[in-house]
Amino acid sequence: MFKRNATCLIFTTLLLFSRICYGQESNYSIYKNDNTEQLEEFRNSNTTSEVESSSSTVITASEDGSFPEGIQEPPLDPSITIQEGLSYPFREKLYVKPLPNNDLLTSFQFKMNSEEFAPSISSLNYGQYNHFTVFPKAIESVLHRTDTRQLHLRFTRGFWDAETWGRLPHDGFKSGGNGVELWAIIEAESKDNAYSKWKTLANSLSGLFCASINFIDSSKTTYPVTSFQPDNDQGLPVFANSKNQLYLIRAALANEPICTENLTPFLKLLPTKGKSGISTFLDGHKVFDSSWHSLSVDVITNCDVNQDKCKYETDAVVDMVTHVPYSLARNKNPIPKPLPAEQLRCDTNKPYDAFQCFPLPESTETEFDLSQIFGKTIKGSSMMSDIPSHICAIITSKWDVSIKVNGELFGTDDNCFELDGMDEYDLYLASSDTSDVTTLNEEVPLHVSRSLTGYGQDHGGLRTVFQNPTPMPITAIYFESLPWYMRLYLSSLKLESIDSSNLQLEDVIDSVYYNSAIDHKRPSHLEYTITIPANTTLAISCQFDKALLHFADYPPDANHGFEIESAVITVIKPFKYQIRTETLLLSLSTPDFSMPYNVIIITSTVIGLIYGTLYNLLVKKVVRVEQADKLIEQQAGLKKKLVAVVLKLKSKVVDRIKQKKVINFYI
Amino acid sequence: MLEKNLRKLIAICFLLTYVLLGIPLWYKLTTIYRATLPIDYIESLHNDQYQDVHLVIPVYIKPDVYKFPDIHDAVQIQINHLLNSLKQKVPWSLQILPYDDTIDEKNHIINLELADFVGYNAAFDSKETTVYYDDKSVASNDLPFFIAQTLIEHTFHIEASELNEIEQPTPQTSISVAYTPNVHLSISLLSGDGLPIGWDIETTLKDYFSPFRELLSPVVNFTVDTSIIYYNDLNLHSLNSTSNITSTQLSHAMDLSELSSMNYFSESVALNLAIVFPSLERNPNGFEFINSPKNHSNWQSFVVPQWGVITINKYPLRKNSYLTESYLNPIMYQFAQDLFELLGLTNSLDDELLSPIITIDSFKRITILKNLEKATETLWSLVKLTKSFQQMAIPKEVLENVRKALELRLNIVEMLNDPKLGDDLVWSQALIMSNQLVEYCETAFFHGEMLKQNFFPQEHKVAVYLPLLGPLTIVTLMGVIKCFKENKLLAKLQEIDEDVSSTTIYNDDEKQDEKLIQGSESDEL
Repeated sequence: MFKRNATCLIFTTLLLFSRICYGQESNYSIYKNDNTEQLEEFRNSNTTSEVESSSSTVITASEDGSFPEGIQEPPLDPSITIQEGLSYPFREKLYVKPLPNNDLLTSFQFKMNSEEFAPSISSLNYGQYNHFTVFPKAIESVLHRTDTRQLHLRFTRGFWDAETWGRLPHDGFKSGGNGVELWAIIEAESKDNAYSKWKTLANSLSGLFCASINFIDSSKTTYPVTSFQPDNDQGLPVFANSKNQLYLIRAALANEPICTENLTPFLKLLPTKGKSGISTFLDGHKVFDSSWHSLSVDVITNCDVNQDKCKYETDAVVDMVTHVPYSLARNKNPIPKPLPAEQLRCDTNKPYDAFQCFPLPESTETEFDLSQIFGKTIKGSSMMSDIPSHICAIITSKWDVSIKVNGELFGTDDNCFELDGMDEYDLYLASSDTSDVTTLNEEVPLHVSRSLTGYGQDHGGLRTVFQNPTPMPITAIYFESLPWYMRLYLSSLKLESIDSSNLQLEDVIDSVYYNSAIDHKRPSHLEYTITIPANTTLAISCQFDKALLHFADYPPDANHGFEIESAVITVIKPFKYQIRTETLLLSLSTPDFSMPYNVIIITSTVIGLIYGTLYNLLVKKVVRVEQADKLIEQQAGLKKKLVAVVLKLKSKVVDRIKQKKVINFYI
Repeated sequence: MLEKNLRKLIAICFLLTYVLLGIPLWYKLTTIYRATLPIDYIESLHNDQYQDVHLVIPVYIKPDVYKFPDIHDAVQIQINHLLNSLKQKVPWSLQILPYDDTIDEKNHIINLELADFVGYNAAFDSKETTVYYDDKSVASNDLPFFIAQTLIEHTFHIEASELNEIEQPTPQTSISVAYTPNVHLSISLLSGDGLPIGWDIETTLKDYFSPFRELLSPVVNFTVDTSIIYYNDLNLHSLNSTSNITSTQLSHAMDLSELSSMNYFSESVALNLAIVFPSLERNPNGFEFINSPKNHSNWQSFVVPQWGVITINKYPLRKNSYLTESYLNPIMYQFAQDLFELLGLTNSLDDELLSPIITIDSFKRITILKNLEKATETLWSLVKLTKSFQQMAIPKEVLENVRKALELRLNIVEMLNDPKLGDDLVWSQALIMSNQLVEYCETAFFHGEMLKQNFFPQEHKVAVYLPLLGPLTIVTLMGVIKCFKENKLLAKLQEIDEDVSSTTIYNDDEKQDEKLIQGSESDEL
C-alpha cells in the first residue's frame, strides 16, 4: 500500500514540478465559440444532399421502440440515422459453479476485440487513423509504444484448495501465483532493447493498474525457454523489419497485495464501465472479501499475414471463490455477533446442555440470491455487444437455479440465461444437498507443494513434492525463478521417492535448463521437464546458500523476510493444465542497521588514537625524570612553594648545624 | 638547538599537511560533483534574449509589364523607414531583392501587376503576394511605399505584431498549448448510456482531416485516434437543473479525468475533441442548458484551454443511432479552426485565415524565436536552480547538454541572420533545430541525478566524519601550540639543568671536602 501511494505521489510531484517550471496556467476555464452562424450555413448545405442520397437505407427513429414512453420525443436530426443491428465485438459471460464445502466459484469473463489495423502504416501517415470502439485505448497505446505482441497480467490472492475444489478454473491458465505476475512477447532488435521496452511496459501498466509492477527490474526478470510459450505461433508477426525478433519476458512480484485500486482500473477498461451487464456485480468490497480471487488480462495480437491486417484480442477474467454461509452471515450482520442459543447448531449425540455445545458441520441445505453475495443486482445487459450477456450455472440435479427478472423467477433447461435490455437481474440458487457438485468428477492431474527446509541463516533447502493421483503418467514443465540471494547448488538436486524407492533423478527429469544468477542483476532460472509415473508421489530437493545482502538491499521491513515467487508447473501430457505452488517466505540474516555508523565511529576513534600517539612521539619534548620533577616543583602551586621554602629553610638550618658541628669538631 | 627546531618543523609540517593537503582532499573526495556551467554567458543571454539575433527575411520583387531596375532599393528604404518607426522587441528586417529565374517559389515573392486600381492580394496556396498598381501610382512614385506597407501590414503582419512592441499588447490567452512538433489528437464520441451507437468517422476524417494534417505537417505532425466511450457524459447531467449556464459553472461541473488520465501516448501533448451526448435514461429531454437561439443546431461547442474542444449535444441518442458525415463535418470544421488557436497559430478566432501558407511560414519563424527564448529561459532556470541549491550535483551530461544547446543556438541564430536564406526548407530546418534545442535544454534541466543528492544535507557529512576530524584537529593543533609555547619551558628546563649540574658539582665538592676531612681525620689519627 505504501509503495503504491509513493508511486502516485511521485507522479503528481513530477507533474506539479513541470507545471511550475514552465509557469503554465492550466485553469480549465471555458470559452464559447460564437461563430456557429456561419457554420450552420455550411452545415445545411451539406446535410440536404446527404440525407436524400442515403434515405433508402435510413429507418427513422420513430420506428424504434427504445425511446421511453410518455416523454415528448426530441426533434429528429436528419443527419443522425438509425442503423439496425449496430454492435461491437464485446462479449461477457458469468459462470456460477458450486464447490464442495458450501463454496461457490463465480467466473466473470469479458472478451474485447479491437478494430482491424494495418501494422505497416505509420500513425504519422496523413490518412492513418486508429479507431476504438470497445477495445480499451489505454492498453493499445501501451502495446503500441512498447511493441508488445502479447501481454498477460495476473493478480491472484488466496489459496486454491485443489484437493477439495478440484481443478482450477480455465485449467489454471487464467490465474497466477500469489501476487502479481506479468509476461509478454515483445518485438525488439536485441535483448537489451527488449528489456528496455519491457521496463517501459511494466512502468506503464503500473500506472494503468495502480499496482507496484514498476518494481520489476532485471533481478526479477526471466526469459522462459519452454514455459509460457504462446499457443499460436503463426499469428505472431514481426511488424517492423525482419531483423527484429520476438522475446518472451516474464516477471512476478510474490505476495503483492491485490486490492480495490486494481479492480477499479480493470472495470474502467470495459466498455460498460461496470455500469451495466454482469460487471455491475463486481464490487471491490465483495471481490476482495473472498477466500480466493484472481484477476487476469490477456491481450494477443492476431494477424492475417496475407492481408496486412491485425487486431488485438483481450480476455479479461475475474474468478473468485466465496464461502456462501460466511457471505450470507456477513450480509445479515456486517459486524459479527455471537449467535443466540436457539440458532446454534449443536451435535446432540455429544454432551449438550445450556453450557456445552459441540457444533455440527455446516448445513447442506441452502437457498440464496447472488445479489446477497455481491451486494448488488445486475443492471441490464451490455447493449453494445454483438451477443447479449450470458449467465450460466454449472450444477448437478440436486441444485435449482432460476433467473429473477424485475422480481419474477424464470428457469431454463440448460441453466444458461441471456440478459436483455435494461431490466434488473438476479440469480436464485437453491439446493437440498450442497455437497453434490460437478467438480467431484473432475480429476486434478497433479498436486505440487514446495517448501523450505533446513534451519539457520547460512544455508537452506528447497523441497518440491509432486503427487500424481491419476492412473497415468503425467509430463510437466517445471519453471522456477529464484532471487539471486538464494545461491542454488544444482549439483545437490536429488530425488526422494516416497512410494517406490527405485526411482532415480534421471528417470523422471528429461531436460534441464539452468541460468545461474548474477548478483543484483539476474535471478537463477530453472526449468525442467518432469514425468511422474502413475499414482506416484516424489520429492525433488535442492540445497542453497543464503547470501549476505548489501546494507541498501534490505527492504524497510527487513525482519519480515523475503517473498519467493511461486514455481509454475505446466502439465503438457496427457492434457494441458497449469498450477502454481504457494509463495515462500525466506528469512535472511538481518543486520543491526546502526552498524555502519558504529563502524565509522570505531574506525575513526582507532585512527585518531594511533595518530595521536605517533604525533606525540614525534613532536613532544623528552625530559629526564628529575628534570620533570623539578619542573613540576617549579610549576606547582603556592602550597608546594611554601613547602619548598620550608624545606629550603630546614635544609639551611641543617646545614648550619652541620657546619657548627664541624666547627665544634675542629674546636 | 637543532632538536628544538626540528620538532617545531615536524609539528608545522603535520599541520600544513593536514590543512593544505588533508582537508582539501577530504573535501574533494566527499563532495558532490558539480560541473561548471557557462553561467555568465547564460546570464547575459537571459538579460538580453536577442543580443545576437537579427532576423532577416528575403523578399523578391517580380515586376510584370514595366521593368523597375531600382525598385528593390526604393522599397528597402521605405521598409527600413517603416520598421524603424516601430519599436522592435526582436530585431528583424526584410531584405528586398530583385527577382530572377533561379529563385523558386518557396521564397516570399511580390508580384507587381498593372491594373486599373491599387490593391493587393495574398495567394491561398503559395507564398506570393500580388500588388496591383496603376500608372498614376508609378508616376507619383507611390509604388515603393505601397509595396512596403503591404509587406509590413499584411504579408508579415504576424511578425509585425509579435516582434514589435505595440503600445497595446495583445491579451495573452492561455488557450494554446506549448509548442511541440508532435501532437496527439483524441477524438471521442461520448454517450451517457450504453446503447449501441456508431459514427462515420473514418470517411469524415479521410475527406476532411487528412488535407488539414498535410497542410499543417511542416509545423505539427498529428497522430489521431478516435474512440466511442459509453457511460460517460462528463458529469454534465449534474447541470441539468439549470437552463442557462455560465462557462464557470460548466468548467466546475465537467469531469475530464477519465478522458485525460487513461492515456499514455509517446507524444507529450495531446489535444481532444469530445462529442458528448446526454443519457437517454437520465436526461430524456436532453440538456436544458444547450439552447442556441441564433441557429437551429442542437449542439454547442466549447474550447477548454490546453485540453481541446467539447461539443455538447442537446438531445440524447437513441439505440443504433449512426452519426453521418453530414453531421460530423461541421463539427470537424469547427474543431479544425479551434485547433489553430489551441496550437497557438492564431491568437483569436476573429482572425481570418486568408493565406494559410504565409501564416504557417510566419508561425514557423515566431516559433523558432519562441523556442530560442524558451531554451534560454530553461537554461537560466537551470542556473538559478544550481545556484540556489549548493548541495545539488551537476553531472557531466548536464554540462554536455548545455554546451550542445548553446552551440545549436548559435547555428540557428546564424541561419536566421543570413539574408540569403529564406525559403521554406530553411525555416523548417531551423524549426527542427530549435525543437532539438528545447529538448537539449529540457534534458539538461530534468536530469534525474540532480535532485537526488539534494536530500543528503551537508550536516550529515560533518556528523559522520566528526569522530575522525575532531581528534585529529585537536591533536595536531594542540601539538603545534604547545611546541611554540615551549620556549619558556625550555628556558626553565635549562635553568633546572644548570641548577642541577651546579648542585651536583657542589655536591661533588662537598664529597671531596668530606673525603678531605676524613683524610685529615685519619691523618690526625
